[in-house]
Amino acid sequence: MSRSYDRALTVFSPDGHLFQVEYALEAVRKGTCAVGVRGKDVVVLGVEKKSVLQLQDPRTVRKVAMLDDHICLAFAGLTADGRVLIDKARVECQSHRLTVEDPVSVEYITRHIAGIQQRYTQSGGVRPFGISTLIIGFDPQDTRPRLYMTEPSGIYSAWKANAIGRSSKTVREFLEKNHKDDMTRDETIKLTIKSLLEVVQTGAKNIEISVMEGFNKVTSLDLAQIEGIVADIEREKEAEAERKRSRLAATADIQAAMAAGSSSAP
Amino acid sequence: MARRYDSRTTIFSPEGRLYQIEYAMEAISHAGTVLGVLAKDGVVLAAEKKITGKLLDLSIVKEGGYGGSGEKIFLVNNNVICGVAGITADANSLVNYARSAAQRHLFSYNEDIPVEQLTQILCDLKQGYTQYGGLRPFGVSLLYAGYDPHYKFQLYHSDPSGNYSGWKATCIGANNGTAQSLLKQEYKDEITVEEAVALVIKVMSKTMDSTTLGSEKLEFATLTLDAATQAPKAKIYRPAEVDALLEKHGIAKKDDESEMKP
Amino acid sequence: MECSFAITGKDYVLVASDTNAARSIIKMKSDEDKTKILSPHLVMTYSGEPGDTVQFAEYVERNIRLQHIRNIHELRPSSSAAWIRRSLADSLRSRHPYSVNLLLGGYDAATDTPKLYWIDYLGTLAEVPFAAHGYGSYFALSLLDRYHNPEASLEEGVATLKRCISEVQKRLVVNLETFKVRVVDKDGVREIEL
Repeated sequence: MSRSYDRALTVFSPDGHLFQVEYALEAVRKGTCAVGVRGKDVVVLGVEKKSVLQLQDPRTVRKVAMLDDHICLAFAGLTADGRVLIDKARVECQSHRLTVEDPVSVEYITRHIAGIQQRYTQSGGVRPFGISTLIIGFDPQDTRPRLYMTEPSGIYSAWKANAIGRSSKTVREFLEKNHKDDMTRDETIKLTIKSLLEVVQTGAKNIEISVMEGFNKVTSLDLAQIEGIVADIEREKEAEAERKRSRLAATADIQAAMAAGSSSAP
Repeated sequence: MARRYDSRTTIFSPEGRLYQIEYAMEAISHAGTVLGVLAKDGVVLAAEKKITGKLLDLSIVKEGGYGGSGEKIFLVNNNVICGVAGITADANSLVNYARSAAQRHLFSYNEDIPVEQLTQILCDLKQGYTQYGGLRPFGVSLLYAGYDPHYKFQLYHSDPSGNYSGWKATCIGANNGTAQSLLKQEYKDEITVEEAVALVIKVMSKTMDSTTLGSEKLEFATLTLDAATQAPKAKIYRPAEVDALLEKHGIAKKDDESEMKP
Repeated sequence: MECSFAITGKDYVLVASDTNAARSIIKMKSDEDKTKILSPHLVMTYSGEPGDTVQFAEYVERNIRLQHIRNIHELRPSSSAAWIRRSLADSLRSRHPYSVNLLLGGYDAATDTPKLYWIDYLGTLAEVPFAAHGYGSYFALSLLDRYHNPEASLEEGVATLKRCISEVQKRLVVNLETFKVRVVDKDGVREIEL
């Protein structure tokens, strides 16, 4: 037993799997859902927020963290792991500024975070981080929005839109169907909320939205704003359903008429 | 097969769970209850002690020290007290670590450590014990009651996984469900320390098995601001003071049933 | 030959530093900003060994920023001053000590008070109503004894600061033409043109 302490916990199985990494992904799938969507010159992070208990202080329940002035991160999975990883990233952001004067680029910090995650899949006696992250931001002197994802294995990748956490597959499929290039700010926010509503049944009060519109420009929407957009979406859905119903009714009428016509005309 | 994932620490089960943490939490749910209530002008902590034997000598705690019997409620720093539920030995080492962290902060920044920062430092340690090999998680949940100029009075709870959150009133340890729902019913915003003390005693007397309480089973503490200096003032009640307080609230032990009175 | 001043007023702190970069008897540059904004309500002037100053100021800047981003709220001026002093005191006892003198002006949002700290390369820390580093202190301190008013409005404070600067420009053998002046109050740090 003592032998196992100094050995990597994550080892290949005979059929080539790294089980600990795969299981860590399971922990991610249990976490609350987070969505990132890139628009033309805006990038939006939306997270599913657990309901705050009656006696809990909502200030201390944070799902989205600033890493630096221009970079924002959301994670899904084990909260404590998330906090520790975020802290490492924050230190790197400032350390990078101290060494080369420039702020980190989004890719750089993503690579750094993914690198840490990878190390924890290969070093002795540690388990992997049980979190996936979505990282949004803008590079210095650049107007293009960025969105990256990292996973417990240490894989990182750039995305137009993606989701992590609970039911992320459903959300991702929804995004694949509905994402357009060069969306405006409002469209991007709306798509984010719409996709989150696929998994969040309780509506606006369990959604948190952060919008980044350029270097150093981050805002988070308040509840009233999110409620407004949710109401809009519901109205649209209602109208869509109404249209569908009337169309169905119309085709039914035609069919009925045709059936009546064919039977009455000998 | 199942044993593969719960006998060793720090390892994910196929469903992505960390059994050791869940078991640690299980251990805590049998521990003595600790209750915290945040008021607008202070914070109140109370804890249930489990008496291990009739011959346990509690007299030494009556002189000296900063009050309390040093079993469940501790003074961490000028501005922070904490109540612990779980494995006492683990708790002692965590409290020791917290005290050092608070002093390190004082040394570097010449200010009392902000409460959330202290909570975070402890949680980082706890998290580490769930990720690194050969370690088992701390079997301790803590309630931190504190004051700092940023957010004034605060109450935090942290568990063995290294998660924490802020509360207006909460409870850890045995019977925490009952206590929690009682608190939910009875807690009002803008509550004063006086009222919070009464609330805590009421909830404590309902969650603990006996109807009468005594200092040998209860620890009690408040954190308020000193009226003159506006500095945070922690008061951990001495056994005699706890008895007096219970007397005042009418649920003290009668003399004839008391077996442990000196 | 560097020179920096700072004065507190009713609800603000003014800090000023000359803008010369000199080596030996030669002026290399006359628009060097020798102040650093450390956080939304904290600004620092630095003087001393060139190189050391910038290196140390950047180190402080990044650490204070890290504290801010980690804890959501800013580090308070008194705590920042204590941390900076500690860093300098530790540095002094290392093999290569920083030779840097600082004036730290801040606004404490928790208590709504302006704060000013005088710190030197030996790790001395003093909270003061007004302060100066360099040869300018020989002229300015007596002036400030006479004219400083802790309840002064910003205009009055700027006028007092101008007195100090003009005295230095009149009496000091070297010519310190321009000063960079910053004010910190509850709205943050901003530059002031004299």
